[in-house]
Amino acid sequence: MNRLYTSLEPRVIDDGMLKLAVGEQRPQEEAGKLAKQEGILFKDVLSLQLDFRNILRIDNLWQFENLKKLQLNNNIIEKIEGLENLTHLVWLDLSFNNIETIEGLDTLVNLEDLSLFNNCISNIDSLDALIKLQVLSLGNNQIDNMMNIIYLRRFRCLRTLSLSGNPISEVEDYKMFICAYLPDLVYLDFRRIDDHTASVSLSVSQQAPRFLGKGKEVAEAKHHYSIEELKHRENLMQAQMEEEQARREELEKHKTAFVEHLNGSFLFDSMYAEDSEGNKLSSLPGVSELLEAYRDKFVIICVNIFEYGLKHQEKRKTELDTFSECVHEAIQENQEQGKRKIAKFEEKHLMSLSAIREEVEMPNIEKMILECSTDISELFDALMTLEMQLVEQLEETINMFERNIVHLVGLFIKNVQSLMAQCRDLENHHHEKLLEISISTLEKAVKGNLDKDLSEDVRALFVDKNTIVNAVGASHDIHLLKIDNREDELVTRINSWCTRLVDKIRRDEIMRNRKRVKEISLYIDHMKSELDNLEYSDILD
Amino acid sequence: MEVLREKVEEEEEAEREDAAERAERARTEKMMRQVEVRKEETTLTQEMLRDLEKKLSEIRIPVSVEVPAFTKDTIDISMLPVSYKTNTSKEEQLLQLADNFSRQYSHLCPDRVPLFLHPLNECEVPKFVSTTLRPTLMPYPELYNWDSCAQFVSDFLTMVPLPDPLKPTIKREEKVLPKKYTIRPPRDLCSRFEQEQEMKRQQEIRAQEEKRLKEEEERLMEAEKANPDALHGLRVHSWVLVLSGKREVPENFFIDPFTARSYSTQDEHFLGIESLWNHKNYWINMQDCWNCCKDLIFDLGDPVRWEYMLLGTDKPELFLTEDDSGINNEDDVENLHSWVEQIEISPEAFETRCPNGKKVIQYKRAKLEKWAPYLNHNGLVSRLTTYEDLECTNILEIKEWYRNREDMLELRHINKTTALKTDYFKPGHPRALRVHSYKSMQPEMDRVIEFYETARVDGLIKREETPRTMTEYYRGRSDFLSYRHVDFGPRVKKLTLSSAESNPRPVVKITERFFRNPAKPAEEDVAERVFLVAEERIQLRYHCREDHITASKREFLRRSEVDSEGNKIIVTPDMCITFEVEPMEHTKKLLYQYETLMHLKKEEKLSRRQVWESELEVLEILKLLKEEEEVHTLTISIYDTKRNEKSKEYREAMERMMHEEHLRQVETQLDYLAPFLVQLPPGEKLTRWQAVRLKDECLSDFKQRLINKANLIQARFEKETQELQKKQQWYQENQVTLTPEDEDLYLSYCSQAMFRIRILEQRLNRHKELAPLKYLALEEKLHKDPRLGELLKMFT
Repeated sequence: MNRLYTSLEPRVIDDGMLKLAVGEQRPQEEAGKLAKQEGILFKDVLSLQLDFRNILRIDNLWQFENLKKLQLNNNIIEKIEGLENLTHLVWLDLSFNNIETIEGLDTLVNLEDLSLFNNCISNIDSLDALIKLQVLSLGNNQIDNMMNIIYLRRFRCLRTLSLSGNPISEVEDYKMFICAYLPDLVYLDFRRIDDHTASVSLSVSQQAPRFLGKGKEVAEAKHHYSIEELKHRENLMQAQMEEEQARREELEKHKTAFVEHLNGSFLFDSMYAEDSEGNKLSSLPGVSELLEAYRDKFVIICVNIFEYGLKHQEKRKTELDTFSECVHEAIQENQEQGKRKIAKFEEKHLMSLSAIREEVEMPNIEKMILECSTDISELFDALMTLEMQLVEQLEETINMFERNIVHLVGLFIKNVQSLMAQCRDLENHHHEKLLEISISTLEKAVKGNLDKDLSEDVRALFVDKNTIVNAVGASHDIHLLKIDNREDELVTRINSWCTRLVDKIRRDEIMRNRKRVKEISLYIDHMKSELDNLEYSDILD
Repeated sequence: MEVLREKVEEEEEAEREDAAERAERARTEKMMRQVEVRKEETTLTQEMLRDLEKKLSEIRIPVSVEVPAFTKDTIDISMLPVSYKTNTSKEEQLLQLADNFSRQYSHLCPDRVPLFLHPLNECEVPKFVSTTLRPTLMPYPELYNWDSCAQFVSDFLTMVPLPDPLKPTIKREEKVLPKKYTIRPPRDLCSRFEQEQEMKRQQEIRAQEEKRLKEEEERLMEAEKANPDALHGLRVHSWVLVLSGKREVPENFFIDPFTARSYSTQDEHFLGIESLWNHKNYWINMQDCWNCCKDLIFDLGDPVRWEYMLLGTDKPELFLTEDDSGINNEDDVENLHSWVEQIEISPEAFETRCPNGKKVIQYKRAKLEKWAPYLNHNGLVSRLTTYEDLECTNILEIKEWYRNREDMLELRHINKTTALKTDYFKPGHPRALRVHSYKSMQPEMDRVIEFYETARVDGLIKREETPRTMTEYYRGRSDFLSYRHVDFGPRVKKLTLSSAESNPRPVVKITERFFRNPAKPAEEDVAERVFLVAEERIQLRYHCREDHITASKREFLRRSEVDSEGNKIIVTPDMCITFEVEPMEHTKKLLYQYETLMHLKKEEKLSRRQVWESELEVLEILKLLKEEEEVHTLTISIYDTKRNEKSKEYREAMERMMHEEHLRQVETQLDYLAPFLVQLPPGEKLTRWQAVRLKDECLSDFKQRLINKANLIQARFEKETQELQKKQQWYQENQVTLTPEDEDLYLSYCSQAMFRIRILEQRLNRHKELAPLKYLALEEKLHKDPRLGELLKMFT
């Protein structure tokens, strides 16, 4: 606990304090004068020092968007807060405060150096977002659990760590433990970990089983086992994550082809998922065989759709790639032309400018300036012509691309629909068969020959013809609905994708055009104003 | 090759002829045919198949050092062995046979060229051609295969090649298939008619130009080959025919001994073959050569196609094997014995290759000179001179190739018309030089130096200099600098020439260009900065963003940089003219501009310093190059035992040491006891008494020898002293009557005598000192001798 400033009143960071601090820390001498003259915006500040100010609460820092280094040491801060907007922060010093838990650092992804020296922290956590962390200072805190070290294993860049002054540093094999668990560490408690220690700790941790039975080595042996276990677990996690990632990517790929979950019995299964009647009926004799055959055929068609979809996705992709490549080339070529024109102009312009400067005769100067301005407007015309040309060319190309892609999508939809129609046929066929079986079963039921092993639910269906027909019909309807839904989904999605794509292309093109036109006019304006300035200065001279 | 009707002498390989013999034959033919251009040809017969491996592996090489010149006096006949000068009875018989054969031939084929059967050799003695060949196996692996062997032979021959017809180069154009979404080219609004007219007009002009050029060329060509070969089809040459079969030779081919190039037997330069020979036999071609050599069948066993001269060796080689050569026919000329000496080539001569290690080849409008490595002190190994005219008077350019230079100079190219010299270096120069082209070695003149940039820390590739500018190109630098151009102003004359310090030219302008730094956004990444030192201006041009066509610019004027007080800089908004593609807020601030300016000022200082360092470096390089040119040391491989003086010395020292060691060992093995042991009956064990006696005898003998030696020295000493005394007496008596010469004689005698006496005295003293020691040493040795040791020990 820092009670250095208890005599003073605790403060909250406010605007006045910040202004004062910024003003004090501005550059020195001439540059300082300039800064004072112009004023400093908070968002231009890269480094800020707020130490020994008896600050209790962090606030009002949101304006310092580009701050890279922030020092808040030697205050009486109890809670880390108000730092969410400082995402560019690289260096954060919170040492000599009264912080009890690490929190509020989740947005500071660029942080490399964090100092929490001399606080009241008892647990290391909530640092997961700080993937770039290199230096971590946690000395003089209340950390007492060795397991905190294991938490630090996730920071791959961590090279410097200080933990002295914590209860854990009193543990006998503290150093060895850390070296063994954090092999990438270079500095521990302000000292370089010499290779010997590192290798000893490492070798001990690896060869320890041979030395079982001796006090220290036992501990190391324990480390060895636990490290191995940890590593194993971490590797497993890693592998799992990678697998998950791969699966997600695969699914994503299928989704972009609009045929996800069609490479198996997924659709078929979903057809029966909500179909209680169908499930009941499947227990009828002969139905299961029928269902099996139906399922096989259905899945084959689904897989067909799936493969067709992937193939078509490939086609669309190549189409799009070719298009983007060509457009890119065209734009590049156009830009090159523009650059050449500008370069040529600038060469000439510079010459004429210096000529004007050297010229003394007023009428001559005027003539030359006139020439220059015609040159500028000529350049403007040329650049704009180039741009308009490009716009026309791109327009034509985009139209062609649109035609082609729409055609491709249409073809795809048509073929998928025909495949879906096959699915429906299958369903109809199956429905008829099922109805037949049901009717015959009903006849049996009427005669009282119903199989004994049928469940009560199923028996309930065979009350009269209407019930059974309704049940079969309901099942059929559900199936058809599922198929229709899937088809509709596919068609809608691909259509909207197509529209969005073309829209985006057009929008991008418009944006590009506007930007270019703006750029050209800006340049031309600059050139003109330069010339005007010259005119004025000449006149003044 | 314009070889017309050829008489082909059959031979195994060209290499088997010796150079002198070759020259001789060429001479003979010259007399016979009166042709200017001649080539010697020899052929490898299928005959060889009989001797399979042996023959083919036997490679014959011309006698090395002798220069095969066309003048007789270069060959010293007196040194040649008897076989060169006379014919044995067997050879006479063979010659008669050949004569007879020749007569029959000219009777049967009166319109054919007389046979080349027994030309005169260098001693004016007629020899049958086959006997001029002597299969010899040489110890050099390079001579085992025909190509390198032929190359070696060709190095010894001087040739006069004919111009090659110029071959036009064919240009091939590639058309790229248009991509699908390639944008349409902008509409062409020009009149097609006008274009066509224009095109036509230009084509006409071009056609005229071409016609003119062609005419010009033709005129030149005409001038060059003024005499269209009046002797076409009349020349006779010799070359080598290699027949297929042995040593994996897949098909017959010709070798031209002058160029060492191989030709297919289908080659149309070879118009026909008169005859073939090898070291065993002589064949006449009876086939029609209307279609050059293309239809010839080289089955020498076929007597219809190839008329043989000697019966004994006419076996159809395709079917017979080695063992046949053992069967003797009745003819005693079966085994032809060559009268030629076996060729011997020393390794030095082999390395020298050309006669005297130098060879000059004259080409059309060019001359190629070759030297053996290490022959020239500056490492020059070949020089190609090209001329403007056919007479070779106006030099166009010279190319000189060097080898084993310590400064890694590889090629020097001198262009005489522009006076531009270009030196090419191999990797390894201390200054990482790659190319250096210059007109003069003076600094601050036109020059281009290229470097191996990977060997340099600063990544410099090239530095170009003119009297007023210096341009440097860089690659792979961490600051992305790619180019620096410096304009110098005229040198200011220093009034106070206080010391020999350099007076650098004032820098007027420094232009630096940078590659794109991917870590920075384009609008903050400087592409070009220009320090106008004289005008106190700094211009910055930034990189162009990917989707833009304009780049940001910034120009700093530093007119009011320093006020009267000193370094304080007053920044005003008009000091900086900025154009930004996308206007940014923070760059508008004076603070930003001030900081940028400060930074640039520092950079400017740094750049100027670097320019100065570059100038210094050029001076140093020039100095180094000059030194190297003067010293031109050559590197010698440590494996080159002959040339590497150091290793030679070392080796010799080692050998000497070995030798000394050996001597010492021999000495230690000297057995003192041997002469005494011999006196005893052999095989018996020594008794103690015998051992003691042996030892005593040995010691007394040694003592006697020491005394004798002392006496001998003493005697000589006394003799010399007496003689001197006598002479002195004589001098004193006759001193008055002596001539100065006699006196001189006397004095020199005296000094010599004194010297001898002194030496003898010294030797005597030394002997006296050493004798007891030697005696003791021997006694010690005898004590330790295993044969006596035991017994003596018991005794003592």
